[in-house]
Amino acid sequence: MDPRVRVLAAAVAAAWFGVATAAAQTSSTYTPPRTRDGHPDLQGVWQVLNTAAWDLEDHGARLGVPAGRGVVEGGAIPYQPWALAKRQENARGRATLDPETKCWLPGVPRVTYMGYPFRIVQQREKVTILYEYVGAIRFLYMNGNPHPRGPIDWFLGDSRARWEGNTLVVDVVHFTDRTWLDRAGNFHSEELHVVERYTPTGPDHMLYEVTIEDPKVFTRPWKMSMPLYRRQERDIELLEYECMSYLLEETWDRPEAFPFK
Amino acid sequence: MRRSLFAWLTGVLLLLAVVVPRPVWGQGRWDPNTPKLPMARTWEAYKATLPPYTPSRTPDGVPDLQGTWGGPGGAGGDDIEDHGYVDVTTPPQESFVSDPPDGKIPYTPWALARRNEIRAGLARGWPGETGERLYADPNTYCVVGIGPRGGGIGEIVQQPGVVIMMTPRVHRVVPTDGRPHMSDRAKSWRGSSRGRWDGNSLVIDIRGLNGKQWFDSVGNFYSENTRMIERLTMADANTIDYELTMEDPTIYARPWKINYPLRRAGTGGTDNSTGKYAWRSTVAVDPDPYAREAWENVCNEGVANNVRSMYSLGFKWFRGVTPPR
Repeated sequence: MDPRVRVLAAAVAAAWFGVATAAAQTSSTYTPPRTRDGHPDLQGVWQVLNTAAWDLEDHGARLGVPAGRGVVEGGAIPYQPWALAKRQENARGRATLDPETKCWLPGVPRVTYMGYPFRIVQQREKVTILYEYVGAIRFLYMNGNPHPRGPIDWFLGDSRARWEGNTLVVDVVHFTDRTWLDRAGNFHSEELHVVERYTPTGPDHMLYEVTIEDPKVFTRPWKMSMPLYRRQERDIELLEYECMSYLLEETWDRPEAFPFK
Repeated sequence: MRRSLFAWLTGVLLLLAVVVPRPVWGQGRWDPNTPKLPMARTWEAYKATLPPYTPSRTPDGVPDLQGTWGGPGGAGGDDIEDHGYVDVTTPPQESFVSDPPDGKIPYTPWALARRNEIRAGLARGWPGETGERLYADPNTYCVVGIGPRGGGIGEIVQQPGVVIMMTPRVHRVVPTDGRPHMSDRAKSWRGSSRGRWDGNSLVIDIRGLNGKQWFDSVGNFYSENTRMIERLTMADANTIDYELTMEDPTIYARPWKINYPLRRAGTGGTDNSTGKYAWRSTVAVDPDPYAREAWENVCNEGVANNVRSMYSLGFKWFRGVTPPR
């Protein structure tokens, strides 16, 4: 087949099957520009455009919460029975139990889809992601060092990255069990193992795919995927969301609301 | 988790000393015989002896400030004005203030009285306190700031139109593309930064500060009207001369300046035992392959106990100063 026809066919197929196709395969016909080091250039300010922050699964609307389609492959997160019960309990007690209400670092991958912009910065031996949300920062090392020896209970884990074609693949371990996956009570244990894949699909889009593995909580590894959108505003910049400062300022003189009594 | 913090500390000096709240950082470190630690006066005198330095340039033709940088050195931010030995956590130290030459912050009379009131209400057991618990140092709550309280410059990465500063706690992205500031209505802990290149210097104009952070732990403050100007200039291949100018006629009688050196990570800093600069690495090559990695620095995640104590002791939340009009 003529290569041009093949490319066209692939493009038509991708357009036809849309996100479903994109989620099923990480390859893309798009060839991204390169950095000086010769790697795909993913730099810039990105953001999700979905409702995963509220609930990773399909959900209806309620006060202040938009309805949304899930981002989990296959629809439902494969919880072990005890964990499913715990998830429901988390959801009911969300107002006080969700670590987000304590302004902690939100964990990975939750930090990606909090709904705030983040900036990717590439250097030779690491890729750094600067998040507007709580000023979080992740250094994704590609310096040849393996994960350090654990156990370590980090909020954002330890990230080691590599390139597979045009895809940035990030292996993340060494988590605390004190973070959740969304506001609906979806959670994990300290045995969480995350693999993130960032694949450019056009000049202003990336496909973000995540494999979640946690033998203490789930019956099998599962996947979520969502597009990342490059912010188009010419004057886009990361601003400040210093959650803890705002929480203290808002509640310090209101004993009924103060969460640290 | 602790292991990580210390591994990183050995690599990048005492950068975190200004981020980690005092109670976490530990007590009982200083001897009454500690020599006075150097700051602006010693640095200015040392700088005057250096030959003129022309920094290398990035591919964009601007001065290359890239690398990982330590903090101001000394004992941290207990009092940015000149002081003698106070207690085991506060050794004698020169003023951070390079201008005016007397090293004092040129407060207006109203602002000086307010600063003294805050200082007398710290309840740290220091001389001159009233015993009242007024405000605790904002750093007790892990808030971010600029300059001596900025958490350090950290690693600088330069890209066309932007200078990026990264530490394990915070990041700052300073546009150098000439864009205007955000509206002054948009206040934040670290303000709106706009950079430009001036000869060999990076000059950053900061506006929109919320005025709720201090310069140190004893209540030296700015306000939401304060404009700050940072000037970063390579003094030699391994040192940035960090200058911070404050302008605010509502609380200061005149503009004033802080200066201190930021040393390239691994090339030394202040020797606290002699009170002089030790411009050499004490560890030639750290055998730990992770020594140069910046590992997670949690602050808000462990701050609940600090908050609980300060709240239950009756300290108020510092909402900034309101100078008389």
